[in-house]
Parts: sequence; structure tokens; C-alpha cells
Amino acid sequence: MNPLPVECPRCAFEEISLLATSPVPGVWDVVQCGRCLYTWRTIEPARRTRRDAYPDSFKLTAEDIENAIEVPAVPPLLK
Amino acid sequence: MAYDDLRSFLDTLEKEGQLLRITDEVLPEPDLAAAANATGRIGENAPALHFDNVKGFTDARIAMNVHGSWANHALALGLPKNTPVKEQVEEFARRWDAFPVAPERREDAPWRENTQEGEDVDLFSVLPLFRLNDGDGGFYLDKAAVVSRDPEDPDDFGKQNVGTYRIQVIGTNRLAFQPVPMHDVAQHLRKAEEKGEDLPIAITLGNDPVMAIVAGMPMAYDQSEYEMAGALRGAPAPIATAPLTGFDVPWGSEVVIEGVIESRKRQIEGPFGEFTGHYSGGRRMPVIRVDRVSYRTNPVFESLYLGMPWTECDYLVGPNTCVPLLKQLRAEFPEVQAVNAMYTHGLMVIISTAKRYGGFAKAVGMRAMTTPHGLGYVAQVILVDEDVDPFNLPQVMWAMSAKVNPKDDVVVIPNLSVLELAPAAQPAGISSKMIIDATTPVAPDVRGNFSTPAKDLPETAEWAARLQRLIAARG
Repeated sequence: MNPLPVECPRCAFEEISLLATSPVPGVWDVVQCGRCLYTWRTIEPARRTRRDAYPDSFKLTAEDIENAIEVPAVPPLLK
Repeated sequence: MAYDDLRSFLDTLEKEGQLLRITDEVLPEPDLAAAANATGRIGENAPALHFDNVKGFTDARIAMNVHGSWANHALALGLPKNTPVKEQVEEFARRWDAFPVAPERREDAPWRENTQEGEDVDLFSVLPLFRLNDGDGGFYLDKAAVVSRDPEDPDDFGKQNVGTYRIQVIGTNRLAFQPVPMHDVAQHLRKAEEKGEDLPIAITLGNDPVMAIVAGMPMAYDQSEYEMAGALRGAPAPIATAPLTGFDVPWGSEVVIEGVIESRKRQIEGPFGEFTGHYSGGRRMPVIRVDRVSYRTNPVFESLYLGMPWTECDYLVGPNTCVPLLKQLRAEFPEVQAVNAMYTHGLMVIISTAKRYGGFAKAVGMRAMTTPHGLGYVAQVILVDEDVDPFNLPQVMWAMSAKVNPKDDVVVIPNLSVLELAPAAQPAGISSKMIIDATTPVAPDVRGNFSTPAKDLPETAEWAARLQRLIAARG
């Protein structure tokens, strides 16, 4: 396993966890942001793995995540 | 020829020259998705792709674009690979009439060979997961046949649903799941969540080619997809009992994932590049906890690329969208000859119809918008004469260019319902809809100068068949 990335390319959150490592040791890891759940493989192109190269149109903020609508909405409990 | 699993269909595709094995090493991203994306850019008879040398993996087998050409779609239905599209749709419609065909239960399912349970579940160890499009939030299962039951009527076989939904892998044993509100599984989930209960679910991957077609077909709530698969296959669909949920799942699946949708929980999902050619997402969606995975030895992971059409998705849901619309229209208007609803799952449709009297074609167009599928789709309808093939776009363009007087033949109706994913809707879920009547006016509609059409010669149909025979015989 290689050192974990320090920030999420999409939302800049700094808690990144390891989901999987390559069956061939040391080739790649699959990692995930603890906030927006963005998941990436460490050898993907920079446009998917580096904050400075990640497209602005797909970036998320803490507010975006907090305000995301529920689909479908949770229904009321029957009494 | 009915295929009982994905592997036997891949064998046929290979024998027919419709499977390309890529043995050079490729990157999981972006190569797998880019190659599948490219199949939609190299003509109509692109092959399925099989990869087994993917960087960092030791034991990956990945099949893509399995339904991604008219040749492959024809073979999936057991038809010759050169069967024209219109004939594939007609044969599909003919077989539909055999519904329901009872399935055949078998208990020796090959996916019983291997199991992971509870804490040991690790989807990444079973599936060579990968990303499709740049903006996707993660790795997706996008060609699964997902089985759920009505919590209020769990023993009703017809209400047991088999559908395809987008599923994001958000952990080694966790998935995010999109039940579109108008789909059957959303009804199952609502009933469970109203009682505060989890909804058991079985997600089957790598299925026989007809299962994938019926899982994506708009069917009535109480109609069984397995009984429709039997009709389309011309043989009972083989099913088996999933060990944890007890649900009926395809006998031939490569992988069966079982667990529950956790009640009343939502988590951030997506985005995901959708069949509309646009992303949707950044919403909070239900989550699944996986409790058991059963899989064949050396499983084949089947995935589907989708994005800007045409992609495999358009072939997969093309005929299976045309046929329900054709059946529903013909039930009231037997004049309807054919329906081409293959553009973006029927957001636009082309209908050929004979005319009972002046104004009739526009009525057919309005009816298409008010069918069950039309309520969420059918934003544009083009009506053409009974002798115009709606699958032949040059003919359709001819009809539009020669027959349409825009002032009287283009009708726009404001503020109708459409699915929320439709990118042009404003607001989401609301759209104007348009009828373009490109049929020849008939009495009492006496507009235009159409009295002397130049029709095909009487002998042309015979010659067309003869030429096709000669070309086929030439090999």
C-alpha cells in the first residue's frame, strides 16, 4: 500500500480512507473521501485524482452535500 | 436458441465474430470505459468486448458492450445477426403475445460455488470494479437485474420485481441505490420504510442476454419479468432461490449479491453520466448493506458504458421501449404500423400510421403522449405515413421535408409531465411537448398538393428481397 492521498479532489476534505488495493501488490489503491464519498483509483488521470486538475463543474462543497435533496424522500412512518 | 447464462451467449458472440477479446494490458481507467464508448463510434455492428489483462488485477474478466449493436441484439433474441432493426422489433412484439410463460426452477445454480458472508463480504475482491465517466462519483454496477418483493404481498410472484437501477459501490459491503420514484422497487421501498423496516434485495450480475432486456423494460406492476423472459426466449426462464432472501433470481447469474436497503437512511450519491447524455446526481439516496455474495468460480463482470448516445444502453432499451408503445397504441388504433421509440428511451418517437380520416395522425401522436411510458417520455412525436418506415431515418426526413406545412402540422403543448432526468425540462419534471404531423393529409383535410405521389414500383419489394438473398448467399 502506498501513502494515502491527503485530500479529496472533489470536495477538498482531508480524511481519505482505503477501500481496496491492487491484487498485484503496489500498483494502485482505491480510496474514498470520508465526506462526499468520491471514490477513485490512485492511478487514474489527474483530472480525476488531483484537486488542482479536477473539473470545477464536478466539485462539491460542504453546503452542496448538506443541502442535497433526498430521492426518494423518506415517507412518514405509519402509525 | 435460448441462452441460460452470459457465458454461453459470449461463446455464440465469439463464433459469430461479434466478440472481440482484448488481451493486451489495459488500464482499468480510462481504457475500459473508453473502449466501450468507442464501440458506439465505429458503426452499427460493433462487437462485445472482453478484457482479461487489466493493470493491477491478477484475475479479472470483464465483458462490455454485450448488447451494443444490432447484430448483438439480434443474437440475444436468437435471430440471425443481420436481422434488420424493424424486423427485430416486429419479432419482439410477436413473441410478447406469448406472455406469460412460467419459469423453470432449478436448484443447482452455478453461483452456489463460492460465498462470502457477513464481515467477510468484500465486493472489490469479487468484482474488478472501475469508473465509467470522468464526473462519476465512483464505481457503478449499472447492468444488474435487481430483485425485490412487495412487503405487503411477499408471496405474489408477479409483484416480485426485476429491474435495472444505477448502483454506486460506496464501501466493501455498501452500495448507494437509485430507485426512480415511478419504478416498481420505489413502491416496495416506500411500503417498507413506512413501517420502519429494511427492504431485502437481491442484485444479480452477469445474466443471460434476455434477462438484461426484460429488466429494463417498462412492464405493469404485477407482471413478472421472468414470465416475459420466457415469452421472449421461447423457453421457460431458468430461476433459482437466492439463499439469504429466498427471492427468485436467475439461475445463470455470474454473481448474486444479497442484503437490505436500510430503512429511512439516505447518503450522498453520484453524479453519474446517464442515458440522456448528461450527468445527474449529487442527491441523497438509499443505501444497501450487503450481507452475502454468491458467485461462480472465475466470474465474468459485465458492465455497460453509457453517456452521449449511441451507446450500448440505447441498443438495450431500444426495442424494449418500442414494443410496449406499439402494443398500447395498436390496442385502440389498429392503423398504427410501427413505432420507433429508440431515441433516449423514447423521449422522441416516430410513429407510422394509416389515417382513418383527416386529423387522425395528430390524435395518434397525442395518445402516444398519454400512454404510461409517454407520461414520463414522448416529448416529441413525428407521425409518418403507413408506407414510411419509421426506422429508416432518410425516409422520415423525406416525409418531414415534403409533407410538413409547419404552421398547421407542428403542434406544441405546454407544461406536460416528463421524467426529471430530461435535461431540457423546465422546471425538472415539466416540459412542453411537440407533435410533427408528417403524414399526407386526407379528407376532409385537403391541404397541399399530394395527389400524384411517386410510389415504389409494384415489383420493388420482390426485388429488394431478391437482392438481400443474393447478398446474403454471397457471404
